[in-house]
Amino acid sequence: MFTLEWFGNFGYSVLRLSTPLIFVALAAVINQKAGMLNMALEGMMLSAALAGVVFAGFFGNVWAGLLGAVFFGIVAGGVLAVSSLSGKTDLYLTCIAFNLIAGGGTVFIMYMLTGEKATTSAAVKAYAIPLVTIPLMDKIPFLGKILSGHNLLTYLAFLSIYLVWFFLYRTRLGLRMRAVGENPQAASSVGINVKKIGYLSFLISGVLCGCAGAFMSMGWVNFFMKNMTNGRGYIGLSAMNIAGGNPVGAAVAAVFFGFSDALATMLKSQGTSFPTEFIEMIPYAATVIALVLINMIRINQKKQIEKGRKREGV
Amino acid sequence: MSKTRRIETTVELVRILVAVGIAYGIALVTLIAISDDPVYIIRQFLLGPFSSARRIGSVINLAIPFTFTGLCFCFMYAVNKFNLSGEGIFMFAGCIVSLAAISLGGKGLPAPVMLLILMAVGMAVGFVVSLIPAWLDVKFHANIVVVSLMLNSMLAFLSVWVLKYFMRDPSIGSMGSFMIPDVAKLALIFGKFRVQSGFFVALIAVVFVAVLFFKTVFGYKMRIVGSNANFAKASGINMTNTVILAQLAGGMLAGLGGTCEILGNYDRYKWVAGTQHGFDGLMVAVLARKNPLLVPVAAILLAYLRIGADVVNSRGDIPIEFITVIQGIVILLVAAEEFMGRYKKRLIYKAAEEDMKEDREHVCLH
Amino acid sequence: MSGEVLRMENITKIYSNGFVANKDITFWLNEGEILALVGENGAGKTTLMKVLFGLENAQSGSVLVREQPVRIQNTLDAIAKGIGMVHQHFMLVPSLTVAENVALGIEPMKKGTFDYNKAVEMTREVAEKYHFNIDPRRKVMDLSVGQMQKVEIMKVLIRGAKIIIMDEPTAVLTPQETDELFEQLILLKESGHSIIFISHKLEEVKRICSRVTVLRHGRCLGSYELADMSESDISKLMVGRDVVLKIEKKQPRPGKVVVHIKDLTKINEMGKTVLDGISLDIRAGEVVGIAGVEGNGQSELSDVLSGLGIFSSGEVLINGASITGKTVHQIRQLGLAFIPEDRMLFGCAGDMSIRDNIIADRFFKPQYRKGMFINRKYIDKMVDRCIQRFEIACDDRNQPVRLLSGGNIQKVVIAREFTSGSNFILANQPTRGIDVGTAEMIRKTIVRKSREEKIASLLISADLNEVLECSDRLLVMRKGKIVAAFRQANLVSEGELGEYMLGIKTMTAKEMEGVL
Repeated sequence: MFTLEWFGNFGYSVLRLSTPLIFVALAAVINQKAGMLNMALEGMMLSAALAGVVFAGFFGNVWAGLLGAVFFGIVAGGVLAVSSLSGKTDLYLTCIAFNLIAGGGTVFIMYMLTGEKATTSAAVKAYAIPLVTIPLMDKIPFLGKILSGHNLLTYLAFLSIYLVWFFLYRTRLGLRMRAVGENPQAASSVGINVKKIGYLSFLISGVLCGCAGAFMSMGWVNFFMKNMTNGRGYIGLSAMNIAGGNPVGAAVAAVFFGFSDALATMLKSQGTSFPTEFIEMIPYAATVIALVLINMIRINQKKQIEKGRKREGV
Repeated sequence: MSKTRRIETTVELVRILVAVGIAYGIALVTLIAISDDPVYIIRQFLLGPFSSARRIGSVINLAIPFTFTGLCFCFMYAVNKFNLSGEGIFMFAGCIVSLAAISLGGKGLPAPVMLLILMAVGMAVGFVVSLIPAWLDVKFHANIVVVSLMLNSMLAFLSVWVLKYFMRDPSIGSMGSFMIPDVAKLALIFGKFRVQSGFFVALIAVVFVAVLFFKTVFGYKMRIVGSNANFAKASGINMTNTVILAQLAGGMLAGLGGTCEILGNYDRYKWVAGTQHGFDGLMVAVLARKNPLLVPVAAILLAYLRIGADVVNSRGDIPIEFITVIQGIVILLVAAEEFMGRYKKRLIYKAAEEDMKEDREHVCLH
Repeated sequence: MSGEVLRMENITKIYSNGFVANKDITFWLNEGEILALVGENGAGKTTLMKVLFGLENAQSGSVLVREQPVRIQNTLDAIAKGIGMVHQHFMLVPSLTVAENVALGIEPMKKGTFDYNKAVEMTREVAEKYHFNIDPRRKVMDLSVGQMQKVEIMKVLIRGAKIIIMDEPTAVLTPQETDELFEQLILLKESGHSIIFISHKLEEVKRICSRVTVLRHGRCLGSYELADMSESDISKLMVGRDVVLKIEKKQPRPGKVVVHIKDLTKINEMGKTVLDGISLDIRAGEVVGIAGVEGNGQSELSDVLSGLGIFSSGEVLINGASITGKTVHQIRQLGLAFIPEDRMLFGCAGDMSIRDNIIADRFFKPQYRKGMFINRKYIDKMVDRCIQRFEIACDDRNQPVRLLSGGNIQKVVIAREFTSGSNFILANQPTRGIDVGTAEMIRKTIVRKSREEKIASLLISADLNEVLECSDRLLVMRKGKIVAAFRQANLVSEGELGEYMLGIKTMTAKEMEGVL
């Protein structure tokens, strides 16, 4: 069973399932660099997913759907920014409230527009963002299976890792954002508008969440389903947390979670006697375990540094 | 009562009513906008819940789980920890309690004993589950929101597994457990209103929690820790213990809620997905401003809103989810009010300062 | 050395709570000079500089740069006028490199992206021009404190500042780093920059400054040529009381030792020795005062004694029991009552009632509870008595503390700590920021409790009146050490006290023997 072919398929599955997680993890990284913990990624992604299907259906064009998803991601980011930065409401509460609104609101709007309450599959034509076959690459036996033939957005997700890295570490705005996140006083003392940067971080993370949502409803499957994000927003957040805010590390962590997701899916389809419920738990349990392990290691590191300092200092 | 106290209490009550009023307003506007027969829909929304004894009963029945989860979140909120495991606890406690009820059914235990055992089981489930995010947060600084939400998802799956492999009744068509023995069920009361007797348990819980919050040493510690953690430390209060115990207490209440919900409303355990009552509890606690005495008030108001939406929904027009949207908006508003509230308080402070005959020019200099 | 490059005239700044920080201050800075701006904590130096740098707005007064009146409403205005400020607490982003920090806000661009190499070049230019030996590519968090300060200075220079404000720059430097800094400042002076040097370290002031402006209690006492003045002269101007308040008190009759401190040393996380071999006994029935410029270890001493902070070595006994490794709760049980420096942060829970605040240190004791429950009746009676005794102006015991005025909030803190039944009171800046009437009451109560109830008190205060009048024995702390000890506080002259506070004189161990 565990042939090369099988591994190839599995690898493909891992990359496919990691796609939305990478986008969301990068979105969390952007917010974190600007100094904020964005707990509303779940709601942002969900709203974008619905928007994608709606726009695609309305304009009869999958790219309109993609644009719509991204647009709504930005709007969601804007709402969060206004609410927490200008309205000064507690960010945690704002995010929890937003996720609630998105959860219910998406179903509500879906019903209003299509008359369906569970999925749009019956009412709206299925639009899918195309798969891309990389010429030459797809001929390679093992790697080709894994790397070629993915959804366009999957390639975009990996490209985004570079783009986000470039943005944060090579552009002026990225530099300012990192300064604001780490020491807002220092930033404002040189005349940087801290609030504006905060806003921008939400808008940018909105774009990324928009892509994540678009993938969910036009790549992973081709319709919108009630609550389809199913915790991925929080998993992406945890990936960022594990990587300490580093974009590349967050992407790696996201792929790790994608791996656990693929594993769960594969085990389910295998039809083992192992109860499916426990298999379904794998991604969530993996998140908690990873979080705890990483923090354990970090706390340990801190203790070692303190011991070393004490030895030097006295 | 003194002047400032009067202002404060009035502001609090007004705030709840205003927030719910706004929610109502939005709901009404939405209904008007999207339905063909707005007047009819509105009448259903406003008066539907009162239209029959059964309906009034359902409002009360719905307020019961809201009260339990509202009290649960009051504890979490009181120590500023957003431990959201109430949702998972509610469901999982219901599951385990059903299992226990079915297993113990034939043992010939009298009803009151049975019920007490089952409620204890439910609370124990809540205790153990809420300990996990609480402890991981204290020991490892693992984000409590993420851990509790992941835990909720895992518990949902676990509950389904327990149902499938330990309680499934193969003779019925849908997914459900064996019948819960009559001796374990909470009776219906109030005749034609058909309210479940978990009503009394909820009332007792409210009184119990209120007494705990305001009259016990532990409640006092909780409130100080929540109000100013630094001061709590400087006064010698043990932060860790207090914070964890508060979350455990909250968990137990959510567990009790799940217990009463199953034993009062169902013949069999049937939940295959979360009931969302945990998150409703969040809204209730936010509305009630962390005050356990106001939790039943907020619970009834929220239940009224929900049943109204249910009535409308049953005619086929509006899906129930728009209520979730309204809930989210209300939370945002109330949280914003909290900030506006602080501003209002600053105004009161300034006014009080002017009253007091203090000579501001002679402030001590250092 | 030509004319004035900066003049601030009749500056008055009143904060929103009524506190007058600057009263009609006038001073000027000549081109190419280093001017010392001195005064005790709270004299108004920092506020004045904040006004100059645009961080605060003054109620009245004017600022002239090169004899032209200017309006400075924010930091960008100030920077545009050539004014730069090197803050006491660095405004740096630790994970960014030196070049990134220096260029932040004025980043050079190339093809729409941040031109890092150009930033490095720019930084290197400034570094070389003024002889700063720093690699622009290093991360700020890897630098020493002295190097971080140089980065702050480079930030200021690269924006073309000709008037540089240095706010207590040597507070965090080692002696070698201080020497390097002074070399740099002299270099800057010689290349045409003008510097305002804020400090209370008189030996440094004498070293590199040519003139000094003295502030005291918000007023400017004048500007003088340093060549004509001795350190004593300056110290007399800086340290003094405008009004002398005397408290009636009997002679103390110290009893047994309540607090015994021996060789207390604390090295903080940065590796700096903040408490250096403190030894001191506090006896029942006396008030021991600690005077000193803030930042010389007083806060750390307070933290250690109250259990809020740990210490590295030494021995501290309260009523004979060691406090090492004990929690705040346990230390309070040993006999500590504690009035914290920051009452809103550590002294009270603003949203809770007066009653809830007063019982915070004793709610667990048997008489205040009936098993699990709070003994309402007993507590209410006790709290009402406190309100009466300490004259707390409020509506009733249920009023939230944050609605009270500062003085009354402190009264709540005092009411709690003074009725705790303990025999050691640690009071850290107990009358800061409150009205004269309440301050007097608090001071009189501290003295009375020591005489009548044989309480041992440690009074840490930056207020001269307070520390000279309330204390029986008076100690001076500087750089984590005790540098002076007087047996009778009210016989010490301000001039003498100032000299010890500012480091002009230090007592030897022999001189302090028997007084500690």
